[in-house]
Amino acid sequence: MNNKNIKAGITVFPGSNCDFDVYHVLTDVFGINTSFIWHKDKINDLSGYNLIIIPGGFSYGDYLRAGALAARSLIMETLKEYAGRGGIILGICNGFQILLEAGLLSGVMLANRSLKFECKNVYLKTLKTDTPFTCAIKKDAVLKMPIAHHDGNYFATSEIINDLNKNNKIIFKYCEFNGSITGDSNPNGSLYNIAGISNEKFNVMGLMPHPERSSEKLLGSEDGGYIFKSIIKYIREK
Amino acid sequence: MAIKPKVKEKPAAKKRGRKPAFKEKENYKLFGLSLDEYKKINELLGHEPDDFELGIFSAMWSEHCSYKSSKVYLKTLPVKGDKIVIGPGENAGAVDFGGGDALIFKMESHNHPSFIEPFQGAATGVGGIMRDIFTMGARPIANLNSLRFGSCFNPKTPYYVSEVVKGIGFYGNCMGVPTVGGEVVFDECYNDNILVNAFTIGIVKKDGIFLSSKCEVGNIVVYVGSATGMDGIHGATMASEEFDSKKNKKRSTVQVGDPFTEKLLLEACLEAMDKKLIVSIQDMGAAGITSSSFEMADKSGHGMIINLDAFPLRTPNMTPVEIMLSESQERMLLATRKEDFDALNRVFDKWGLNCVKVGEVIDEKTIKFYYNSKPYKSLDVGAVVNGPAYNRPKRKPKYLQKILPVKINNYKVPKNLNEVAKRLLTHPNIASKRPIFTQYDYSIGTNTVIPPGFSAAVLRVQGGIKTSKDSKDDNNKDKGFLLNVSGNSRYAYLNPYMGGALAVAECARNIAACGGTPVAITDCLNFASPEDPEVMWQFSEVVKGIKDAAIKLNTPVISGNVSFYNETAKKEGGKTIISKIYPTPVIGMVGFIEDVNKAVTPYFKDEGDEIFLLGKLKGDLGGSLYMDLVHKDFRQKPAGIDLDYEISLQNCIRSLINSGMVKSAADISEGGIFVALAESSITNPDKILGFTVDLNIKELRNDEILFSEFEQAFIITSNSLVKQKLLKAAANFNVSLLKIGVVGKDVMKINNTIELKSDTIKYGYERGVEKIISAAYM
Repeated sequence: MNNKNIKAGITVFPGSNCDFDVYHVLTDVFGINTSFIWHKDKINDLSGYNLIIIPGGFSYGDYLRAGALAARSLIMETLKEYAGRGGIILGICNGFQILLEAGLLSGVMLANRSLKFECKNVYLKTLKTDTPFTCAIKKDAVLKMPIAHHDGNYFATSEIINDLNKNNKIIFKYCEFNGSITGDSNPNGSLYNIAGISNEKFNVMGLMPHPERSSEKLLGSEDGGYIFKSIIKYIREK
Repeated sequence: MAIKPKVKEKPAAKKRGRKPAFKEKENYKLFGLSLDEYKKINELLGHEPDDFELGIFSAMWSEHCSYKSSKVYLKTLPVKGDKIVIGPGENAGAVDFGGGDALIFKMESHNHPSFIEPFQGAATGVGGIMRDIFTMGARPIANLNSLRFGSCFNPKTPYYVSEVVKGIGFYGNCMGVPTVGGEVVFDECYNDNILVNAFTIGIVKKDGIFLSSKCEVGNIVVYVGSATGMDGIHGATMASEEFDSKKNKKRSTVQVGDPFTEKLLLEACLEAMDKKLIVSIQDMGAAGITSSSFEMADKSGHGMIINLDAFPLRTPNMTPVEIMLSESQERMLLATRKEDFDALNRVFDKWGLNCVKVGEVIDEKTIKFYYNSKPYKSLDVGAVVNGPAYNRPKRKPKYLQKILPVKINNYKVPKNLNEVAKRLLTHPNIASKRPIFTQYDYSIGTNTVIPPGFSAAVLRVQGGIKTSKDSKDDNNKDKGFLLNVSGNSRYAYLNPYMGGALAVAECARNIAACGGTPVAITDCLNFASPEDPEVMWQFSEVVKGIKDAAIKLNTPVISGNVSFYNETAKKEGGKTIISKIYPTPVIGMVGFIEDVNKAVTPYFKDEGDEIFLLGKLKGDLGGSLYMDLVHKDFRQKPAGIDLDYEISLQNCIRSLINSGMVKSAADISEGGIFVALAESSITNPDKILGFTVDLNIKELRNDEILFSEFEQAFIITSNSLVKQKLLKAAANFNVSLLKIGVVGKDVMKINNTIELKSDTIKYGYERGVEKIISAAYM
């Protein structure tokens, strides 16, 4: 796939550890022109990028709270500005936690209901398909992707939940393989099985499961690839 | 508080020629040295050692660092082969992965710390082995572990399991290195000594491997990473002693891990190596700065000036000996060229880490210490590094006289084999380890093709982390590697030679069952005290078994570790008894597969597929879990292993798998053919299946057929259309292939004796270990 004219940036904080994985999928699987952005790099303007991904990991060791320290680093100011101008930001796992801590998305992450790290495949139901992250996915499609986190138990006040519901900001929910949303299919206790949400303008999304680990048949699922395909489609058609 | 030597003031200077008085006998004992060793140190120094000297000698001469009891045996292991890039002697061994890349791997024990403080002990075990790998310039790409806990009925076991597992996950997950496999075994013999063996493999450009032996005179000696604190002081000597009932005194000798700092250290080291700013490097593991400085000096044939004032300290006012013996984690010692120091400093500064000049490489085989800006001590490198080597007395243990071949007619076939089958599948040694490995991130890295829970872990190397340009060529694109750790201590106890050989063969079987070819091994040899002649005999036999199997299977032993003193003195009914572990050799094996797309899993795929037995059944129940659980008597001689047949068998299954005709393959290990079939039916992640099998062998009883372990055979399935081709192919290898049944819907049926519903069996299988873990939270 020739997507060389698409430019993606991957932010790297001390402790980011899915950065290489996202890089591999963007370049080797989707042919996107990708580079790393070190959190201290003096970049005044990200407008040259079509897409920014905040990858998973343990930024700053998850000390204090997962994502809390990264959310207060220099690069976040630039990212906020980028988001304000409609730039596309995808936060995966720790990236989601950082987006919450930075206030780009609403809500918080609690420790998993099991109080354990959970690594396994889960199923996701796609609730909204007219976003940059889901425009190549069919409505209600069920995607298989792995999770790997200790703090993925999404929580928010009822005002926030009402707002998420009213404005259709809940993009993905954990579900059974057949799409039914049940307590059993919820791997971490997150409120209403929430797995991924977006901001008001739908240009910023946080997602707990790892699409980069499920974009190749060899790894057991290509479903995560639909998120990257959606982003590519959106950028091309824009 | 660290254990401080009782005698603090310096001993009065002894005049030359005077007979040493050994007034401080307690002192050297505190350091874990024997009287003979103490005398030898006196002789080497020409005076009675003070605490500083005693500290250094005792650490370097400890069993843990010097391998003094095992050296003579380890020398006999095969270490060379056409794929071996680096054998034993460095931080880890390396094999040629092709395309300009090498894989570097090693396994190491962290048993004693894990028994004292299971969370930190296990965590720093994982941290330590990863440092061994990236010290050599390799990026760690997978972790495995081998864990041994006490009986599941021991009230402490749930605590140990949950803490050790949490500790392993805590460190590996944060580092971003997937934990892709391992084994977990429960047995009474580990009630007072749990075992934690950690394995790491990394990838590096073949011509970009860093060694600890390359220091050049004039290089600056640099300390990088975390500051030095009081943790872990005397760790090496602790790992070289048995526990006693006052073991809590040793709490301060356990290190505390900080995986975030290690992640920074990893990135900083690899970046500095990539920029060619490092000449030589060694991690600070057991015995901290002592071993790293003396080993680097010794291997490169030089000496060093070490300035103790320069070390960044976490605890103020540490004494020189405390600095030397601290086992604080996440530190490295390296040598750099003078002109490169500033650039090196910039790299470590970027990652927020200490980078401090602490000395210089000199052209004398001495380490000269400075303290308070004055010359402090001078020690001869050779004297410290060349510790004693013992050929300790050994004696065949008495208990072995009573280990005889099983007389099966003395035991009745249980009336209800269904019940026996259920008990086996819910036994924690057989039940699903899923509740354990889901606490480890096994999918990070986007390399995990076959995840934990099956025969061997199968990985590829994704483009983003491939180190060599060549390896990105299409030729090497689909190449994968396989990892497995195995060991069966019950068999090693019943027949040490065979226990050693079986551990190697079992790893190779697991790798062959996925379609891979074994390449090399690392070993962790866990034993009780080497000062017990019976233990020493077991050790020598196990090593002989490993040697013979490794030679036959063409898998040189390229790295490894020995852990002695896994025994604890305890009081029972007024008497002191020594609780010893069984001899526990654990093998970590690496294999290759040319086309990773061809790797197969052990679980059944589709209803209607035909089930075959490849190989032959002996039906010997000696030492089996069945004999233990049902007849309360496992102390019989296990069946031997025919290594020549093993090779034909493994060549055969590998060839069948790579020809694409095999849909699933499983070896027959604990729990026998019944467990192999049952697991194949219920571990398919997408569906539950069943089977109907008819397997009657003349002169073998049903229990012998069903539950005999470690048979030289595999269960394979294939589409019925390829049966003739399959039979022909197997015949070429002189290995028997027998159709024994078909994959069915949801019931398991064998010989009209077993009939079980797959879904209820799956439920029990998945709860067996879960029950133990959840007990820790009650």
